[in-house]
Amino acid sequence: MERRVFITLPVVDVARSRSFYQGLGFAIDDRFCDEMSACLVISNSIYVMLLAHSRFQDLSVRPMILPNDGASALITLSCASRAEVDQMNAAALALGGAEIHGAEDLGHMYSRAFADPDGHGFGIMWIDPTE
Amino acid sequence: MGKMIFVNLAVADVAKSRAFYEALGFSINAQFSNDDAACVVLSDNIYVMILARPFFQTFTEQPLGAPAETISAIYALSCDHRAGVDQMMQAALAAGGTEPMPARDLGFMYNRMFADLDGHVFEPMWMDPSAVQSN
Repeated sequence: MERRVFITLPVVDVARSRSFYQGLGFAIDDRFCDEMSACLVISNSIYVMLLAHSRFQDLSVRPMILPNDGASALITLSCASRAEVDQMNAAALALGGAEIHGAEDLGHMYSRAFADPDGHGFGIMWIDPTE
Repeated sequence: MGKMIFVNLAVADVAKSRAFYEALGFSINAQFSNDDAACVVLSDNIYVMILARPFFQTFTEQPLGAPAETISAIYALSCDHRAGVDQMMQAALAAGGTEPMPARDLGFMYNRMFADLDGHVFEPMWMDPSAVQSN
């Protein structure tokens, strides 16, 4: 079976985060959701698990930190077009996200980056498939 | 084209991290690698970008964190078998990774965790496909 990745992120308010990501156009897999968690479907092989802080902290002995206080990861998603990059960024900002990197246009590659309501950073980019 | 994900991780030493991920059996995409970055190929759609800490900082205005001391994300990777989970763990530990949490075995699901050289936490996992009803 093709390898799948599940990115687990701590969030303050699962319902708020769920609405945020649904607003970006991602589906939710209800089989893996409850009041403390939500499973976002980015694709058949890519998932983001949003967990309430208390449940996330159960998974680690290390103290939790939110990225606005110290970021050590940034998740980048490919988009099918330059317009999709702009659309997803506009949706994120309209729904309470913050811009963490403005548009960067290299001609064959176009990217932006936003943080979700908890500060988790997402890059969104389009790469010219003919390059 | 399917959606692709690139998990960008800030690391202290790109060459050492690259060797670590190669030891896990993953290949490197040389087209997207240089002295400041290495692109680890987990599948056709899943990549880990190892970025030197100063280079990582150019992608965000957020302050740079200390992944060995605090945690803000866990990356679970599916394996086809329980044995695949143990194999990835053994390779990670042999290459200098650590095991921050004990294995969790629920019968239909088996998870272990390793931290890479900088403390980024990965979770190789196996789930019995018959235990999860399809959509």
